[in-house]
Amino acid sequence: MPKSQFVDPVEVRKKGKITFKDIPVNQYDKTVEEEKENYTTEDFLRIYRDMAIIREFETMMNLIKTTGEYNGVPYNHPGPAHLSIGQEAAAVGQAYLLDIDDFIFGSHRSHGEILAKGLSAIHKLPDEELMKIMKEFRNGLILKIVEKYSAAESVKELAINFLIYGAMAEIFARETGFQAGLGGSMHAFFTPFGIYPNNAIVGGSADIAVGAALYKKVNKKKGIVIANIGDGALGCGPVWEALCMAAMDQYKKLWEGEFKGGLPFILNVFNNHYGMGGQTRGETMGYDMLARVGAGVNPEQMHAERIDGYNPLAVIDAIRRKKKILLEDKDGPVLLDTVTYRYSGHSPSDASSYRTKEEIDAWMAHDPMITFRKQLVDASVAPDKTFDEIIDKARDLITKQLKISIDDSISPRMDLNKDPQAISKLMFSNEKIEKMEDRDCDVLMPKEENPQWKRVQKKERFGLDKDGKPVSKNRVYQLRDGLFEALIDKFYTDPTLIAYGEENRDWGGAFAVYRGLTESLPYHRLFNSPISEGAIVGSAVGYALCGGRVVVELMYADFLGRAGDEVFNQLAKWQAMSAGQLKMPVVLRISVGSKYGAQHSQDWTSLVAHIPGLKCVFPATPYDAKGLLNSALSGTDPVIFFESQRIYDIGELFHKEGVPEGYYEIPIGEPDIKKEGKDITILTIGATLYRALEAAKILEEKYGLSAEIIDARSIVPFNYEKVIESVKKTGRILLTSDACERGSHLKDMAQTISELAFDYLDAPPVVVGSRNWITPAHELEEYFFPQPEWMIDAIHEKILPLPGHVPATNFTKQEMLRINKLGI
Amino acid sequence: MATPVIMPRQGNTVESCILTEWFVKKGDKVKEGDLLFSYETDKAAFEEESKVNGTVLEIFFSEGDDIPVLTNVCVIGEEGEDITPFIPNGGSEQKAEEQVKTQEQVVEETGHSEQKLPEETQSQADSDEVFISPRARNLAEKIGADIRFATPTGPDGRIIERDIRKLQQEGHLVTAGAKEAYLNLDQPLQGSGLGGRVATADLNRPAVSFAASEEKTSAALEYEDVKLSNIRKVIAKTMHESLSQMAQLTLNTSFDATEILNVRKKFKANAEKMGLANITINDILLYAVSRILPMHKDLNAHFLGDSIRYFENVHMGVAVDTERGLMVPTLFNANLKSLNQIAIETKELAKACQKGTINPDNLKGGTFTVTNLGALGIESFTPVINPPQTAILGVNTTEQKFREKDGVIEPYISMSLSLTFDHRAVDGAPAARFLRDLKESLENFTVLLAK
Repeated sequence: MPKSQFVDPVEVRKKGKITFKDIPVNQYDKTVEEEKENYTTEDFLRIYRDMAIIREFETMMNLIKTTGEYNGVPYNHPGPAHLSIGQEAAAVGQAYLLDIDDFIFGSHRSHGEILAKGLSAIHKLPDEELMKIMKEFRNGLILKIVEKYSAAESVKELAINFLIYGAMAEIFARETGFQAGLGGSMHAFFTPFGIYPNNAIVGGSADIAVGAALYKKVNKKKGIVIANIGDGALGCGPVWEALCMAAMDQYKKLWEGEFKGGLPFILNVFNNHYGMGGQTRGETMGYDMLARVGAGVNPEQMHAERIDGYNPLAVIDAIRRKKKILLEDKDGPVLLDTVTYRYSGHSPSDASSYRTKEEIDAWMAHDPMITFRKQLVDASVAPDKTFDEIIDKARDLITKQLKISIDDSISPRMDLNKDPQAISKLMFSNEKIEKMEDRDCDVLMPKEENPQWKRVQKKERFGLDKDGKPVSKNRVYQLRDGLFEALIDKFYTDPTLIAYGEENRDWGGAFAVYRGLTESLPYHRLFNSPISEGAIVGSAVGYALCGGRVVVELMYADFLGRAGDEVFNQLAKWQAMSAGQLKMPVVLRISVGSKYGAQHSQDWTSLVAHIPGLKCVFPATPYDAKGLLNSALSGTDPVIFFESQRIYDIGELFHKEGVPEGYYEIPIGEPDIKKEGKDITILTIGATLYRALEAAKILEEKYGLSAEIIDARSIVPFNYEKVIESVKKTGRILLTSDACERGSHLKDMAQTISELAFDYLDAPPVVVGSRNWITPAHELEEYFFPQPEWMIDAIHEKILPLPGHVPATNFTKQEMLRINKLGI
Repeated sequence: MATPVIMPRQGNTVESCILTEWFVKKGDKVKEGDLLFSYETDKAAFEEESKVNGTVLEIFFSEGDDIPVLTNVCVIGEEGEDITPFIPNGGSEQKAEEQVKTQEQVVEETGHSEQKLPEETQSQADSDEVFISPRARNLAEKIGADIRFATPTGPDGRIIERDIRKLQQEGHLVTAGAKEAYLNLDQPLQGSGLGGRVATADLNRPAVSFAASEEKTSAALEYEDVKLSNIRKVIAKTMHESLSQMAQLTLNTSFDATEILNVRKKFKANAEKMGLANITINDILLYAVSRILPMHKDLNAHFLGDSIRYFENVHMGVAVDTERGLMVPTLFNANLKSLNQIAIETKELAKACQKGTINPDNLKGGTFTVTNLGALGIESFTPVINPPQTAILGVNTTEQKFREKDGVIEPYISMSLSLTFDHRAVDGAPAARFLRDLKESLENFTVLLAK
């Protein structure tokens, strides 16, 4: 809500109407003859060659899947194959004008796009550069194979072999594939050619690609970004969110100087008319023509256009015009509705029961492999037999590469017997990079002049005064100040760092963590996003995998569901699916609420902990908050940074020296003993630390037991050594957090502790979590969230009967059986 | 409407009773007052009469079952009536709640702010299995503790670390060398090693006796295995605990019984006329002890480990020999009662014990015990203290002794006393002073009566 823009009641209440410009539909009508001035014979033939290679590649895949053999080479491929036979002209047309600075992101059906973009890049790149790329990629692993087995006569031919082999080996899950076989058919990519990850989640690339466009814009990188998705993906919420985020007014209205202007982003829909078996036009969607959707997004109507994907020249023409809009006019984003058709099914198991043979035959009659060839022959570009030669050559290329890519001696799979850690070591990059780029940071004032920074410096950095009394909330350095210091420090260190989310600018974040950052940072480094949690996280994924560092925020853990795919499938997985080629320096701040009922008070750390590939922390003190955020912001892994709204204003009570003014890191994964004791260990996650301290006091004063309190601080990774050490000493452990007890990550920890310290345990580890209910109103929360008394009761009932203790809550075995039986 | 018959609660602390015998079977017609079944607690036996006329519709338990009190045992009513509402455990939740409630009530009623830890939790106590935490087991192994002596205080009757620590304090230990063989023995045995540890030397003793019994078995079945009665079990446990946990020693003395024998004769002669009960020598001893004890509080006390509880009044345990075994009913406030009252009440208590109708609440709460083996001709013995009491007085037989008085040797009737006391609570001299005072008061009993 920038104050610079006035919401004028007179204006907004005025009578009027919205008018639309016409949206062009297949307006391209030039003949090959007419286009001869723009294309040489070689160009025309190269377009056809690229289409032929893709057609042959996909035909090979289809035959391997359906007949177990291609051109006399038998092979069984059990993995996926979503083929684009019929869509070649659209892919080649799109790639024709793109260079390696232009990024494409794709879908599950993107073999054709990868090959088209790669072939286009190979054509444009000078030989030396091609060789350099091939030599550097995976230390020349693929290059050595194709040099040995392909007998290429030129660098370009070698590079084509390299491209085909790398993609094929990847699809066949070979260690020699582009991503060492960890991506596979639906995820292959090759960033040196501007080919970015393809996504098996329908529409998954849309918001990621927006983040990539954001990266280009904020960091002044060359090129445009295209998200290639299918028409079925228009039904996905995150795709709509991506459109909203790509079309935010602020790019043109609020961002300043050279940053002013629309995102260099094209949402290109390869519209083959089917989302699996659902017919988008006429059955599952209502847009009639997909290009119409642009009219609903912004006044520019996203420069939307339907183009004929069965004519490669029409697609090239469109890309030429749209590139100008994006780069010269700075008037993105763009929506392209590229009409095409796939002859093969959704996948080999698809019997095409949803369409008629007549329809397929009719499209086959329009097949560009035939019609474009005829046009070229008719226009005397080349004699007919030239095209036969091109096709034969393509078949030869594919056959040779198939042979070597399925040969186990040349193209082995990852050997997990020899190296059992081969995949696990790719789950995190675990690097420490202070700044992602070395240049000046765009800021509006020196850090020392920032008013909030100055305010924070005056605060008391330890929460207790000389007499051990708590320092007043107004004077004490709070947990939110720790977060602020870490953030502002990084904003002045890493020029690529940006932060966005809901209410991040001006408001300062819903919980005032960003208060004062607006004063220091221009719009392009700190901005408000639409209420699009999916796109907030998805775009952060795209921003980071391009090479930037980003902090995004979900405000409440309860909103995690809105960003489910982006957190669980994208953020978590791309480092490992890329075999370590991509880094993911994203900090996702998530606040755990209370007081606001069932949809604003949930601790969902357990959901995050369950998904491999995410680091997860939950500091509970200012010292830990600053140190852990510093670590998260200097790492290269995605960190889900949980915070509790109960304790944003808490002072530091444990680190006697107070929170240091300078930079320090607390390693992610190390729990911390907050209070030493000898009779029982209490392990806490998040804000329950303070309730455990109260319980410890009761244990001490009433029952003469001394409790050792360990604050987990991190959830993933987690070093159990300290906890086991403590359990060996005390023999007893209670674990507590605000997460609902069933399926709580604490149960996982309890189980691990049981295994690691079984012989030392005097009782099973006991978990005290929240009830398996909805969170009730604030006034009833004491019946829902763990209370100190519950901890005492649980200890009495399950661990160590306490003399004279009369439990107020029910932790008996009968109760456990009952609530589990009822699922409550 | 059918009527359920519950297992009565005999005394506040009784949690369950064993059904010993059925006098009726399912389908029998019964009248009000007919005996239905007999049952016993660990301390006494009872019989249950029918309170209604009708047919025994269902019997829920068999002889020998240990039945929680207030549980339905059988149902009496008209034939064809629905008995399902009375099936025990049908509403186990409700019962659990009830139990919790009763516990709370007990706490409230007795006004104790401290809830006593369960001596042994019921749920797993029935089973022979030992439930022990890994940590407790490891500790037991390490220090050589015999977990069979451990009293579980963990959840669900689990032996936990602190129970093994207690064993360590009490000395139920075995040396590493003897451990394996020892733990394979059928019965625990007392150790002679350091700190009472069972050593390898101790192991040979039972081994010999086993060998002997084996020889006999091969010849013929010359023995009978009889399961321990509940009372026997309690006696075994209490006596063993007493000897294994306390520092007991016995002082013997004797006194001139001439006076009390004379006094007793007078009582007997005037009993009818004065309306006196049959006052025995034992009653006279109880009377004397009850008057002397308040001056020796160390002996009228409970030793509680880290504290000693001294009692103002004397609650006299009186050992009674019964068919079931030794029982010790309590004569509450004996120091406030007349000799005649003591005589009457002691006889009533003894009779109830012999009949097995003694209220279990009268079998505890004693602060000192008197046991009399004089009638059986015993001249001296070492009575065993009833924990947590600190002493017990054994009364022996009378015998003729001789003494020199004014140069003349004269005979007199002597009686001897054996006082066992817990040296943890009382030292030798105070115990001896008690005996001296008691002896003086008995030799001058009429003076004591006048007090």
